[in-house]
Amino acid sequence: MTTQPVGLSIDLAPQQVMRAIDGQYDMAVWRSTSGVVSAWENRCPHRGMRLSYGFVRGESLACAYHGWHYSCEGYCHYIPAHPELTPPKTVRPVLYSVVEQSGLIWVNTEQDAMPVALPDDLQPVRSLVIECDLATAVQALDTRQPHGGVESLSDTPKIITFETGGISQGAVVAIQQSQPNRLIVHMLVQSAVTAKDKIALSRLIESVRRQAESACNEAT
Amino acid sequence: MNGIEHALEYWYPIAMHNELSNGQTRRARLLEKELLLSGGANDSLTVTCNERPLALQSAFDHWWVTLSENPLPLFTIPEADEAERRFVPCGVVRVACSPLRAVENFLDIAHFPFVHTDVLGAEPHTEVYKYDVKIDESKDEVIASNIRFYQPQAAKSAEGGIETEYIYRVPAPMVAILYKTCPQKADAMDVIALFVQPLDEQTCDVWPWMALYDDTSTMADLIQFQQLIFLQDRSILENQIPRKLPLDPGLEIPTRADLTSISYRRWLKKRGAYYGALENC
Repeated sequence: MTTQPVGLSIDLAPQQVMRAIDGQYDMAVWRSTSGVVSAWENRCPHRGMRLSYGFVRGESLACAYHGWHYSCEGYCHYIPAHPELTPPKTVRPVLYSVVEQSGLIWVNTEQDAMPVALPDDLQPVRSLVIECDLATAVQALDTRQPHGGVESLSDTPKIITFETGGISQGAVVAIQQSQPNRLIVHMLVQSAVTAKDKIALSRLIESVRRQAESACNEAT
Repeated sequence: MNGIEHALEYWYPIAMHNELSNGQTRRARLLEKELLLSGGANDSLTVTCNERPLALQSAFDHWWVTLSENPLPLFTIPEADEAERRFVPCGVVRVACSPLRAVENFLDIAHFPFVHTDVLGAEPHTEVYKYDVKIDESKDEVIASNIRFYQPQAAKSAEGGIETEYIYRVPAPMVAILYKTCPQKADAMDVIALFVQPLDEQTCDVWPWMALYDDTSTMADLIQFQQLIFLQDRSILENQIPRKLPLDPGLEIPTRADLTSISYRRWLKKRGAYYGALENC
C-alpha cells in the first residue's frame, strides 16, 4: 500500500473534518484545535455513523449522531448519554498513519506513512477532482509542457514536476487515485510566485481537467 | 440469510387515504416487487402486482397492502379510535437505508441533543436515565417505558423546555410507535408512529403518522414540524455504514442508553426478521 496525498494542509484548518476516499478505504481526516491531524476509518464504532460528519471540540472528534468524543489517540473518552461512565478502551475506530510534509497531508491505510520527498518551499495552489483514469490525466498534463514530457518524481503516488511556460519556477502535481476513475490532483508551486501566477496555474489545471475528462468520455 | 419470506408475512403502508383521485395511477415498490396503485370512486384504491390484485386494508389514515395469501394480522393502535385527537398523516420520505435502521433510529433518544439540537434535545441535558425494556409476550412486541428526557421544544404545541416521558412499542419489524407527554393535556399522551415501506433491503419509504391533542397548531405546521425532525434523522440514516443493520453486537458497540436498540435487534433475530439485516452479524 502506498502513501497517498489526501489533501493540502492549508485546506484542513484547526477544528475541521474532511472525508477522504482511498480505494475501498473511507476515511475521516480531522485537525484538532491545537493542530494535530488524524486519519481514521470513517465509521463510529457505536452505530456506524460516518465520522467525517462529526465535529471537533478541543482535542477530540465527536460523532454527529450521539456526540461520542474520541481523543487524538482514537479512544472514546466521553459518552454524553452517560457522562459519568468511563468508556472501555475497545471503543476506538481504526487509525491510519498520517504525516504532514511539503504542504500535503499523507496517509497510509496499511503501514507507516512515508511521504515522497519533494522540493523545499512548496506553497499550495489548489486541489481539484478529475474524473478520468491516471494515464489520461498524465497525458493531458504532458501536452501542456513547453519543453517535452512531464518529469516524474514518483509513480505511486504519481507526483510530477511540471514546467509552466511563463512561470519560471515549475509546479508540483501530486495525484491521489481516490477511485479508479476519480483522481484528486493537488497542485503546489515552488518558491515565491505571485498571486497572479497562482491564478494562472489554477486556470491551467482546470483546462487540463477539461481535456482529460473529454478524452475519457470519448474513449467510453 | 435474507429473510424475505418472513418479511412477506406483514402488511405495509403504500399510500395515504385520498392520495389518489378516481382514475389516477402511481407506481410503487415493495420488497423488490413493482406495484401499480389505481385510485377508484369514493376514495377507494386498487393495488396490483403483475396484474394480480393484492389484499388491502385501511388503517391509521393509510392504505396497507400485503403480498402474502395468509398474512399476520395488522397491529392495533387503540388511540386511533379516540375521536378527539388530531390525526396527522405526514406524507412520505424516501431514505437510502435499511428499513430496520429507520425504525431503530426512531427508538433512540440519545441522539436528540446532537441531531435535533434545541428541539428534541440540547446540551448539557444529554444524560439518558435508566429505563425499562421488555418483550410483551402476549402481543410479541418490544416495549420500552419509563424513559424521561429533557426537551427544549417537545412538540409544536410545547411552550419552552419540559422533561418529556416516552414509551415505545415495536409491534412489527418495520413499525415503531411512540407515546410521549402531551404538552396540552396532562392526563394523555401524544402518539407518533413510523410506518416503514421497505422498497428493498437498503431503501425505504417512511410514512410518519401522529395522533395528537393539539387544538391550536395548523395541520401544515404539525406536518412541517414532523418533517423537520425526520429530515434531520435522514442525514444520519443515509450515512450509517453498513447500510444494513447488524444484529450482533460485534460490529457496533452499544451502551446502556441503547437498551431498546439491543432488545429490538435480539427480537428481530429471534423471529428471523433478517430482511434489511446484515448477514452473520
